[in-house]
Amino acid sequence: MSDHKRLDGDRNDSAPGDEGVNTHEPLSGVKGYAIGLALASLLTAAAFILPGTGLIWGPAIPAALVVLAIAQMGIHLVFFLHITTGSDNQNNVIALAFGVLIVALVVLGSVWIMNHLHHQLMTPADMMRMMR
Amino acid sequence: MFGKLDWSAIPFDQPIPLIAAAAIGVILAAVLGWITVKGHWPYLWNEWITSVDHKRIGVMYVMLGVVMLVRGFSDVMLMRTHQAAAFGASQGYLPPEHYNQIFSAHGTIMIFFGSMPFIIGLMNFVVPLQLGVRDVAFPTLNSVSFWLTASGALLTNVSLVIGEFARTGWLPYAPLSETSYSPGVGVDYYLWALQIAGVGTLMSGVNLVTTILKMRAPGMGYLRMPMFCWTALGSNMLIVAAFPILTATLAMLTLDRYLGFHFFTNEAGGNPMMFMNLIWAWGHPEVYILVLPAFGIFSEVFSTFSSKPLFGYRSMVLATLFIVVVSFTVWLHHFFTMGAGGDVNAFFGISTSVIAVGTGVKVFNWLFTMYGGRVRFDTPMLWALAFVLYFVVGGMTGVLLAVPPADFLLHNSMFLVAHFHNVIVGGVIFGAMAGYEYWFPKAFGFRLDEGWGKLAFWLTVVGTVVVFGAFYIVGLEGMTRRLQHIDNLAWYDWIMVALAGTLLIAGGVLAQIMQLVVSIRHRDRLRDETGDPWDGRSLEWITPSPPPVFNFPVLPDVHGEEAYWEIKQRAIEQQQLSEVPDYQPIEMPRNSPTGVITAFFCTFVGFALIWHIWWLAALGLVGAYVTFVVFAWRDEVEFEIPAEEVERIDRARRESRQVILERGAPA
Amino acid sequence: MSGATAQAGRQHGARGHDPYALGHGHGGGGDHEATGHGEGGPASKRIITGYGFWIFLLSDIVMFSGFFAAYAVLAGETAGGPGGRELFELPRVAIETALLLLSSFTCGLGSVATERRSVFWTQIWLLATGLLGVAFLVLEVQEFVQMVAEGAGPQRSAFLSAFFALVGCHGLHVGVGILWLGTMMAQLWVKGFRADILRRLLCFNLFWHALDIIWVALFTIVYLLGSGA
Repeated sequence: MSDHKRLDGDRNDSAPGDEGVNTHEPLSGVKGYAIGLALASLLTAAAFILPGTGLIWGPAIPAALVVLAIAQMGIHLVFFLHITTGSDNQNNVIALAFGVLIVALVVLGSVWIMNHLHHQLMTPADMMRMMR
Repeated sequence: MFGKLDWSAIPFDQPIPLIAAAAIGVILAAVLGWITVKGHWPYLWNEWITSVDHKRIGVMYVMLGVVMLVRGFSDVMLMRTHQAAAFGASQGYLPPEHYNQIFSAHGTIMIFFGSMPFIIGLMNFVVPLQLGVRDVAFPTLNSVSFWLTASGALLTNVSLVIGEFARTGWLPYAPLSETSYSPGVGVDYYLWALQIAGVGTLMSGVNLVTTILKMRAPGMGYLRMPMFCWTALGSNMLIVAAFPILTATLAMLTLDRYLGFHFFTNEAGGNPMMFMNLIWAWGHPEVYILVLPAFGIFSEVFSTFSSKPLFGYRSMVLATLFIVVVSFTVWLHHFFTMGAGGDVNAFFGISTSVIAVGTGVKVFNWLFTMYGGRVRFDTPMLWALAFVLYFVVGGMTGVLLAVPPADFLLHNSMFLVAHFHNVIVGGVIFGAMAGYEYWFPKAFGFRLDEGWGKLAFWLTVVGTVVVFGAFYIVGLEGMTRRLQHIDNLAWYDWIMVALAGTLLIAGGVLAQIMQLVVSIRHRDRLRDETGDPWDGRSLEWITPSPPPVFNFPVLPDVHGEEAYWEIKQRAIEQQQLSEVPDYQPIEMPRNSPTGVITAFFCTFVGFALIWHIWWLAALGLVGAYVTFVVFAWRDEVEFEIPAEEVERIDRARRESRQVILERGAPA
Repeated sequence: MSGATAQAGRQHGARGHDPYALGHGHGGGGDHEATGHGEGGPASKRIITGYGFWIFLLSDIVMFSGFFAAYAVLAGETAGGPGGRELFELPRVAIETALLLLSSFTCGLGSVATERRSVFWTQIWLLATGLLGVAFLVLEVQEFVQMVAEGAGPQRSAFLSAFFALVGCHGLHVGVGILWLGTMMAQLWVKGFRADILRRLLCFNLFWHALDIIWVALFTIVYLLGSGA
């Protein structure tokens, strides 16, 4: 790694939650929070209202809700927590990615394993019912 | 007033715990009395108990770990002698309910209060020194972490006299651990001791991850960190990612037991298998939390005692990160027999075999590090060599167990017991011993006696080979684990062999204690004047032994993978030390009793919750909160060491270095 | 809020009488503003603290993932008792969501006021955040009490156990956050914008926003999917 690059790397770092050090984001300050609030409200409202309107094909509703939730988490991360893709945020984003990976492994893994078990075996509740 | 607590909680009818407790009580009273008579309390309070110095906290962690390893080993003696006496018509001397507590306490203490503090202590002591910085990221939090761990250890041991410990094994499998089958306080002791210690471990993990990622000496890029720092980073990333799962799982079991929830019960739709699933989602990464730092220690030891840079540094880094991620995809291999389908078992079987590749890469790197080097067989190196031989066997049997059909035969057998002791003793304990022998001179300024060290090494290693060799064989012959009474007389000979091995290990433990006693007595002869007793390669060896409170008078500039080695070689080449730096005053964090006071209150909270003494629990929580507020309110948080003092301390260091330089190549 | 003000704020935070400076600026690396990925020496205390707290938050989210996993597995186990469709009242959840989202916004405005070093506005926005949080908690407790009164308490079925634990864990976090908030407001009142208090405010902001993110996952997976399915 060249010295020049190293120095650049050194100057680019910010605490999570701090707004970018070098990047002059247009979306900082009150304006940033207001836009974040507006977008988040929009997505929340959509999540609450859309399933009742019949605009989304029934079986696709869960998927749509999950997509809306993920979008809203993204909005929160960017506008409220100031976790962006800027170079000053690298470490914060890597840590977040690791966390998301673990969350996904734990939740999806558990669901996969336990569903399989459910198909293979009786649950204790079923067993109790049989014994009665 | 006192919830479930009354005089019946004390086991007057059982002589063994009472005598043991009385003995511990007498020893404790003697030690405390001696401290009081000698007037050492102010020293202890100011220099150790309230210390926020990472080195002091590291040493205290290791001391806690050593004491608890001995405590866990006393359980071993009970189990082995009992099993040897419990064949056929003979019933042995431990009733089943007591025997069950002993093997549960053995596992719990060895993992949570023996190995974990030992390993965390070594990381605490070494990582900031290797990174070339003055302390960890959050020094006071570090002290809180340590004292919470100690609080958990205390609660576990209190269960010896007041009440009982869990009879459920080291992981309290549901539904056995539910109130319907374990109505006593044993499981509650387990739950609260682990929750309190777990918070400490989690905070220590946060602390070390932040330290390694955000605080390094100038010039120390990621790929210039010593291997031990990398493995410590991996281990602490795993702590941060895995311990919360333990917290959540134990919280669910606590809700089941205290408020009648139905997470893991047989009734009302609860699912006990979910407990297995969640606890092992933590439990498997936990294995790597323990063993990764040990891998790091061995990397340092192999390179130092082979007088060569570590072979394949980058592949080591990759292997470490590979293990970190893959360790989260193998947890089902602990319960292949639970009944999940073939494709689930196949996935986890394959991923379990795959994770061995990371370790395999490391093993070859260690071997190639020795190849062509000038290998010195000091005690740390002996532990490292024994580790490679021993751990490879353990790893192989692990891959064997990773094959689901084979696991169906070997599940819960003594073969399994042999396997995980093989890797944990061979990996973690040997690693901890290597680290202890290796860094002891750095921590205390004198070396450990080599003769006693080697005796302890041989006794322990031969003993473990004998014990677990016997276990492998009886396991293949069909003996299951946790037997309080054995009917099959065909296993008798092997159980006696295991007993003999245990006695060898006991000799090793005694020799290890003797080594410490002898070394303290001969400390002047064993004094490490240079600060670099092993001809080391990383930055901790640039400091004097023991290092001053600020570690480095000026933060060292790092120019390569082996920071200190290059500085040393330059000095030898030019026959002079680096220029006298421009000393500046150094600000260091003030000591704080926050940690010990918080832990004091948390111990009461835990004890009160175990015995349902609600007012005391509330009081303890308020106390812990007030402690934190008082801590947050203080104005003077640091003190300054004047530049002249820094210069004086560093001048002494430079003089001793100058002497070595003039003497020729450093010893 | 311009970048320049933010920069000034950061310098105020990092310089001065910085606790636990741990020798920043005394090392060979020198300028401790210019640190970051570790190569130029240790990072500034503000970055270290923020990053450490960020790691802690991630661990907290992993803890929630344990409860989410339990909920996902046990959601169908109603043991003949009431399910989400009968129990959940979406209007209340919508109000709770609005309260928490607004509190996240006021919390953000508080951090803007902090960067402008306005004690008055910081306190006002923190107070608003806390009040919104309390309102959220009141609604949640009301929901819990109502459910228990209907015989749908956590002892009824595994589904309800998982529900109460997951939602209750989030509620507990909000409660702890409010306690923290109150303590911090008192501290800000007495001590003003000290560097360590600025760092704690940064951590509190992170904490509060993270709770809102968890709530997004919660209302989607538990309430919206639960009342539909």
